[in-house]
Amino acid sequence: MKLEMGYFNIRDVVFGTGSKLDSGVLTIDRAALERLVLEDESIKSVVVDIARPGESVRITPVKDVIEPRTKVAGKGGIFPGVISNVETAGSGTTYALKGMAVVTAGRIVGFQEGIIDMTGPGAQYTPFSRLINVCMVCEPVESAERHVYEKAVRMAGLRAAAYIGSLAKDAVPDEIKVFETLPLMEGKAAFPNLPRVAYVQMLQSQGLLHDTYVYGVDVKRIVPTLLYPTELMDGAVISGNCVSACDKNTTYHHLNNPVVADLYEAHGKTLNFTGVIITNENVYLADKQRSSDWTAKLCKMLDLDGVIISQEGFGNPDTDLIMNCKKIEAEGIKTVIITDEYAGRDGKSQSLADSDPAATAVVTGGNANQVVLLPKLDKVIGTLDYVTKIAGGNENSIREEGIIEVELQVFTGATNELGFNTLSAR
Amino acid sequence: MNFRVITNNPKVYRVYAKTCLVEYQKVSYQEVLLQVRHYVQQGCRILSHPLSGSVKPGEMPYKSIMISSQAAGVVDMESELLIEQCLAVCNSFSDAGRRWPACVLDDFQYIDYTLIASAVESARSLG
Amino acid sequence: MTKLKAVHYINQFFAGIGGEETADYLPEIREGAVGPGLAFQQAFGDAAEITATVICGDTYFNEHPEDAQNQIVQMIATQQPDIFIAGPAFNAGRYGVACGMICDTVRQRLGIPVLTGMYEENPGADMFKTKVYITPTKNNAAGMRKAVQTMMPLALKLARQESIGASCEDGYMPNGVRVNFFEKERGSKRAVAMLVKKLAGKAFTTEYPMPVFDRVDPSPAVQDITKAKIALVTSGGIVPKGNPDHIEASSASRYGEYNLAGVRDLTADTYETAHGGYDPTYVNEDADRVLPVDVLRDLEAEGKIGSLYHTFYTTTGNGTAVASAKQFAAEIGRKLKNAGVDAVILTST
Repeated sequence: MKLEMGYFNIRDVVFGTGSKLDSGVLTIDRAALERLVLEDESIKSVVVDIARPGESVRITPVKDVIEPRTKVAGKGGIFPGVISNVETAGSGTTYALKGMAVVTAGRIVGFQEGIIDMTGPGAQYTPFSRLINVCMVCEPVESAERHVYEKAVRMAGLRAAAYIGSLAKDAVPDEIKVFETLPLMEGKAAFPNLPRVAYVQMLQSQGLLHDTYVYGVDVKRIVPTLLYPTELMDGAVISGNCVSACDKNTTYHHLNNPVVADLYEAHGKTLNFTGVIITNENVYLADKQRSSDWTAKLCKMLDLDGVIISQEGFGNPDTDLIMNCKKIEAEGIKTVIITDEYAGRDGKSQSLADSDPAATAVVTGGNANQVVLLPKLDKVIGTLDYVTKIAGGNENSIREEGIIEVELQVFTGATNELGFNTLSAR
Repeated sequence: MNFRVITNNPKVYRVYAKTCLVEYQKVSYQEVLLQVRHYVQQGCRILSHPLSGSVKPGEMPYKSIMISSQAAGVVDMESELLIEQCLAVCNSFSDAGRRWPACVLDDFQYIDYTLIASAVESARSLG
Repeated sequence: MTKLKAVHYINQFFAGIGGEETADYLPEIREGAVGPGLAFQQAFGDAAEITATVICGDTYFNEHPEDAQNQIVQMIATQQPDIFIAGPAFNAGRYGVACGMICDTVRQRLGIPVLTGMYEENPGADMFKTKVYITPTKNNAAGMRKAVQTMMPLALKLARQESIGASCEDGYMPNGVRVNFFEKERGSKRAVAMLVKKLAGKAFTTEYPMPVFDRVDPSPAVQDITKAKIALVTSGGIVPKGNPDHIEASSASRYGEYNLAGVRDLTADTYETAHGGYDPTYVNEDADRVLPVDVLRDLEAEGKIGSLYHTFYTTTGNGTAVASAKQFAAEIGRKLKNAGVDAVILTST
């Protein structure tokens, strides 16, 4: 499967009449975007705002971050099975607007988390501080149940990203890159001497507000399966995960999966990147056993030499991570796992909830319990009401002069377990 | 029904009391884990992960765990190791005597309920 | 900026006093830098000055740890330094233990930042790396230059009370405290590089070593205990009265083997414990409480066991490095096997 990605470098985003993309400047018709969000009856109101890198702005509580994309040639569409029809995506041509994102925010549950600081000490911990963010703070109608509201905000973000992405349809991208994964036998013939490597991506699937969707299917209900890496670039996997800001994978992460990008980078040089296996992280132990057994089985069937396994979340997923690692290693296939740590504020506690000597190669996204002091910023998009209740915050979180004491885990994407960041720990 | 849910979440009790075996007690998160360990040492198996959910111990007061309703003659070592590991992790998070407003408690109950609901769904579909 | 003050600790060998024959050298303080201290002084330049050097013999320190430490702490206190540096000890076991122990004590009693250096397999490393900052060095003094280069910047940071980075940044042994820092490459890129190395069978370094639990599979049950030859082995430090082989009260560097031929009962007059980690009152009254020779002689007489093996093996488990314990166990195991022993009762305290 072959996908051509066209990238547009967005230099600025402004509000104006008539949405358009012109020479790197994106104009958004605020009223049109608001109408698009309010199409959903469970959303009562929305406030759309723009936050730029370096501005004294704090966005919270963040639900999802999404990169605007659009399909310009080939089968299927962006976010297949959710926004577009369910036809298989991942081939043809897709455009992406780089340097910006749609950020959805809103109070879905009262202990919600997710901070993006656009400046100050917090900004270095979230990759989204480096993007121009179109923020949509959505309020539900009073009668909306939490899961209805979650879905409404999730869908509103995807609609907005697809809408903004579509503004690039007729423009000429600044850069084009081609990604191709050959069918198994052809791949083997093309790179007979390179080790065969796949990517095992574990997706959060523990229950409502902890969910992920692939082609619109709730990942709790899947068995491990195969994807072409390019399908991810078209939004085959989207996030419905609202908890644990630092190590939840936003839709932006799925679209720009760094393991996929770096395996493609090495593809044909030091390894043969054969594909992606997606699997889940259910709470029911028999589900875990089935999924890890099948993941190892698929790795063997694909005749792999090595895999990279990434994780999403903490605790329950640690068990899946170790089960996958152990069983895949037992098949004689080498593994590297990517995780993050909860080693306590003093860094002295056991970092993971599970461990095994088979996990000899670990990459870490850092200790999520590290304490950070955040100064007051001039403007808040969303509300600070929940900062005291979010993970890593507590009733003493807000100190004099508006300084907040929080743990790294409040920052959206801070200790990402796909290896999106440079943060690490020893 | 071949499972039992150990919980300190009143919502889980309300929802499942009539259709499932539910043991509800007004105890702490850690005490739910200890109760599960007690059952494991009687020969019950753990069926759902004790550290389900991304909200960490100490950051939320509720916990529901599914175990087998029948005790076998011997202790299931995997269950025993799992619950001990989870207790160790739980003990490393302190709750610093947190208090939450009622509306937030309600949200916590809801989240914990959805987590155990996904296990109940799996258990039922497996028969 | 005022010059920072440092005090340096070295053993009799590095002070140029002599080798093993002078290892009972008493603690002494000299003005200025001595021996390897000169290399530190040169590296510090104008940033810090070694105002004094404390010298102590390794044997004296290890045999009189309390006295030695009390004297040394007093000597250091008079200097009011900003940093205390010990070693580096390279692979010298007793020197390494002394460096680790005195650093830990100075840190606790005087509240001064401390730093030492040694080879990773030095028993002192295992014992003290979670308590004090230890820079890993080569296993011999040829690594002095490199050791000084790594220790110097960390010493200055510590002396200035600056925050210390991750172990790989500031060059100390991982001490069980996880510290965040920014890598040059993102995690996924590091994962790919690690996998490529692992696939090629090349060396790679994990960013999080999994906690290792040393598990030993139990041997099959003894077929017929009434015919079995049983040995006693203990880490409870039981020794013939007077501790003839000078087994250390803590961080043992050796084990003892003693004949039990004709011994029916251990008494207060004949046996005692060398262990410094528990209250010895009751075991010194009756060492059978830790090494149950009396009971085994009874069982032997009753025909319930075949025989009690004529030699017992003993050491002190107190603070003994895992590496040393493993080495003792391998040797003891080999000897027992060669002697046709069928089963061993291991006692600890």
